[in-house]
Amino acid sequence: MGFDMLIDPAFLQSVPRFVTPILLAALGGAICDRSGVFNIALEGFILVGAFCAVLGSYFLGSAWWGALAGMLGSIGMGLLFAEFHLRRRGDAIVVSIALNLFAAGLTAYLLRAIFGVSGAFHDAGIVGFAGIDIPGLAAVPVLGPALSGQSILFYFALVATFALHFGFARHRLGLRLRAAGENPAGLIAAGVDPQRVRLYGLILCGALCGLAGAQLSIANVSLFVENMSAGRGWIAVVAVLLTGGRAIPVLLIATLFGFVDSFSFRVQGVGLPQQFTDMMPYLATLIVLIALSAWRKSRTA
Amino acid sequence: MQAELSDITVRFGALTAVDHVSLRFSAGEIHAVVGENGAGKSTVMNVLFGLVRPAAGSISLDGRAHVWRTPQDAIAHGLGMVHQHFMLQDSMTVLENIVLGAEPLRPFGFVDFGAARRRLAEIASAYGIGVDVARRVADLSVSERQIVEILKVLYREAELLILDEPTAVLTPQETGRLFGILRNFRQSGKAIVLITHKLDEVMQIADRVSVMRGGKLIASTTLGETSKTEIARGIIGGDLPAALKRADTAPGEVVLAVEGLEARGQGRAAGPVSLSVRRGEIVGIAGISGNGQSQLIEALVGMRAPLAGRVVVLGRDVTSADVARHRAAGLSYIPADRQRVGLALQARISENAAIGRETSPAFRRGPFLRRDAMVRFARQLIERYAIKAAGPNARSASLSGGNKQKLVVGRELSRDTPLVIAENPTWGVDIGAIDFIHRELIRMRDSGHAVLLISTELDEVIALSDRIFVLADGRIAGEFSAATADRLAIGALMTSRDQPRQAA
Amino acid sequence: MDTAFMRRLGPWVAVLAWIFGILLVLMLVVHAHFGEALSGFFNSAFGGRNLAYLMATLSRTTLIVGMALSSMFSFRAGLFNIGGEGQLVAGGMVAALVGVYLPGWGPLVLVCGILAGMAAGAAWALLAGVMQSYLGVPLLIGSLLLNYPAAYIASYLVGHPFRDVASGLPQTFQVQAGTWLPFIPGTRLDVGIVAIIVVAVGAVIYANNTVAGYRARMNGLAPEFARASGLPVRPLLFQTLAISGAVAGLVGGLAVFGVSHRFTDGMLVEPLYAWTGIIAVLLVGMVPWAVPISGFFFAAVETGAAGMERTANVPQQVALIMQAVIILFVAGRISGASLVREAEDGDGL
Repeated sequence: MGFDMLIDPAFLQSVPRFVTPILLAALGGAICDRSGVFNIALEGFILVGAFCAVLGSYFLGSAWWGALAGMLGSIGMGLLFAEFHLRRRGDAIVVSIALNLFAAGLTAYLLRAIFGVSGAFHDAGIVGFAGIDIPGLAAVPVLGPALSGQSILFYFALVATFALHFGFARHRLGLRLRAAGENPAGLIAAGVDPQRVRLYGLILCGALCGLAGAQLSIANVSLFVENMSAGRGWIAVVAVLLTGGRAIPVLLIATLFGFVDSFSFRVQGVGLPQQFTDMMPYLATLIVLIALSAWRKSRTA
Repeated sequence: MQAELSDITVRFGALTAVDHVSLRFSAGEIHAVVGENGAGKSTVMNVLFGLVRPAAGSISLDGRAHVWRTPQDAIAHGLGMVHQHFMLQDSMTVLENIVLGAEPLRPFGFVDFGAARRRLAEIASAYGIGVDVARRVADLSVSERQIVEILKVLYREAELLILDEPTAVLTPQETGRLFGILRNFRQSGKAIVLITHKLDEVMQIADRVSVMRGGKLIASTTLGETSKTEIARGIIGGDLPAALKRADTAPGEVVLAVEGLEARGQGRAAGPVSLSVRRGEIVGIAGISGNGQSQLIEALVGMRAPLAGRVVVLGRDVTSADVARHRAAGLSYIPADRQRVGLALQARISENAAIGRETSPAFRRGPFLRRDAMVRFARQLIERYAIKAAGPNARSASLSGGNKQKLVVGRELSRDTPLVIAENPTWGVDIGAIDFIHRELIRMRDSGHAVLLISTELDEVIALSDRIFVLADGRIAGEFSAATADRLAIGALMTSRDQPRQAA
Repeated sequence: MDTAFMRRLGPWVAVLAWIFGILLVLMLVVHAHFGEALSGFFNSAFGGRNLAYLMATLSRTTLIVGMALSSMFSFRAGLFNIGGEGQLVAGGMVAALVGVYLPGWGPLVLVCGILAGMAAGAAWALLAGVMQSYLGVPLLIGSLLLNYPAAYIASYLVGHPFRDVASGLPQTFQVQAGTWLPFIPGTRLDVGIVAIIVVAVGAVIYANNTVAGYRARMNGLAPEFARASGLPVRPLLFQTLAISGAVAGLVGGLAVFGVSHRFTDGMLVEPLYAWTGIIAVLLVGMVPWAVPISGFFFAAVETGAAGMERTANVPQQVALIMQAVIILFVAGRISGASLVREAEDGDGL
């Protein structure tokens, strides 16, 4: 186990599989954050997305239906968030905690109710996304394996990053989302309802987190496991926090975290106990969080 | 355009903020709506703009009745409002701020910034105002931000402009410039409504004056039909309170010595500033808000570590000490923001009153709190400072603005410390409470305390201070004694950073 | 009936209607027999031979209320400490290790174990406090992220170095016989509940009658006001977190010495004691005297749901779903210190 492992093609190919869910969820979280919605329920959004993706794929027979179902499921979570936070003015943290628990309970419940199993469900009937080979990208030195052969959701995530970047700057909804987050009173005085704008933001967030879940359950593997989101949602929250919701920095941070996540998976069974490798993504997140927070603190002191 | 408000009534809970008010606004006329804080003038104009729904009454434009659900409706019919607290997005550019909510679109919802830019250029040349639209609002001076607010209104082709206390944040010179712009508007046939409590300006610019007091309309006449004293009387409902008189005493030892203080907060840096305050005097710092006052105060009080310089209270160097040690050295602080910094609104009056004293023997027994002592103390404050409250156990949120401020002032002054720092102590407070607080501050001065008054209200500074420093751009631009204090001379020094640019 | 009263009652009736409606839908999805499910629920929560099930509910209540109190100390001081789970695990782990390996007279080892657990819980909480105060990491995220290492480290310790291999499960040896908490006479409920009652009473006194509690509360209600008034912000942060962590550690110790008598992998995490405690506090708006009632309610929901699964085949996750739904509906009406205030800054508290 040396540094050559880091540029081992098999390892590099696995990195985007871990980056994608974090990136997609973080982009969704970024939209909420910029619009002034403190959504820390990304974990629950992803989990519901993962479950619904399996539902759609299994019952409707294709990965595309799975992705769509995943999006719709998480959009449903977004609508719940909007109902209880925006309309009924529930505290965002309380609503987030409740929705995270709700997602965990509901997915485990439906796992039993629909598939009759507990713990995990895997079946040949779950159709997953195959990797897409892009010869031009595959030829890129070193990074080739990472750029080609990934699921469509990875490429979508990259496109979404830039779409968000430009959308915030030049699209009407992007402008209004930023205003809702910065000075909602000003937006009201300009004649636009910030709550409605935030609702649209939550729907977009749901769609992106749904795809994040789909990447987990029908692209990386083809099965659903209870609590499948496994902390990715919290890592995405940290990514949003560290970048202030800006699209390109989100991409960079998500890549970093995905890299560590992938690395910890890779070193399993190389002698370290399972718990340590499982812990790595969280420790890495903590370390990055500490480093960047401390740096920021020293700048403004 | 002619706009008419008929019999408008607005209630906030048990409080009747606007009581059957009818007003008429005509094209080519500057109509001033005057009254003291809390008279209801902002509220009634918020009704016209669609920010507030009236409990009763109607709005009509050019004879046709309308009901607004949101400001969007009012904007669509040609009304525009420039708010007292600017409703701008700091991190966005001028252009983005102006088009927000009225964005010209290209396919798929993308904003056509080019078209907006062209339209703004036309407006700028039509009215002789402009600002670089590519700049971020966060980088603009206060009067430039006001220009942006005005451009926002013009961009939406408003025919009736409402300006809420527009000169509160301007130097006298900038006010003159604004009035020139308003006269331009008047000439091109727009209707202008000016909400203000500054009588001198009303006499300068208004064609028509409506006076409000306690939610009611007292009088509405043309300027020629009334006089300044009559208007003032209408505002107060009686005679002006007697002029403030300071006792003829000589100041004593130096209580606060500030040398070369530099501080950086959000936005601009402040400093270096040097000054001293002695026993028995009130030193006033005048300046437009946003010139470094809050940074300086935070450094003086101990809420922020200064970048450089020294702060010495009664011989103790407290430069880098925390707030507790500043206070222990002999300092009390009346903050500008009574809602968030001066009080814990959700807590009881007794709990707010006792803060800072909970470790003294009178209020504690070992680790335990003596609630009865707290309640008794609160009752004393309520009586001494004439605070209208339901009782010492009522929530502070239930107090009116003026009474909240009196609670804060009472709590701080009753500490009887050698030094009192008062920051905008009468902001947003009714005339009765203003007078009360001013007299309390003078009483402290007369009995040998040192008072440092920082206020954006120039008249307040001039009325109370023995010595006046002018703060501009984070530095002291000039010093005056009570005898030489002259409004225009002081105003000339109170420039904000970056003069607003005129369109070429 | 008085119409104003009806108007205020209306929303609550609507909430109850929604909750029962959702419950009904969930049961229909699994084709559960409604009557069987209900009787199974009540029996399992409150009944049983010699009220055995009621004892189980009360035992669970102890742990949930303990965690609720732990969270309450932090929330009332305006601190978004959601690391209760990590503090709980740290406390339980350390208490178990002391109970297993420290030689000595039973009751003395018990006391040492509990105290060590409380210290461990406090330390884990203080770690998050240090991260916020000195390193600028927001407490909300820092405390949450620390939950995971705590659980993983404990899992490793009971899975490898301290494992009772012969038992075949990832768990420690049993703590010495003399340290087991006795039952309340006439019941099969351990005296841990008494300790929690003491803590609850202490919490009320702390909040309303002590100088420290007063300062913490003022800081929770209005942090800028607290700063400007000279309250010692940093000591308040540490003092409050230490108390929260110590209570969580106490709960861990009670679970070890009173219920399972050893530390088994996941025994504190899987039942979601810490999260249930958090929502139990949120349900009653952090009013101290109502917390035990709320905790009992949630404990009953959980034990009752286990019964529903036995009798009517309703998956027991229905408990978690219903708890979350209740909190969602109540979220809009939670008064007291708002939680979202400075969540993103990490400055101040």
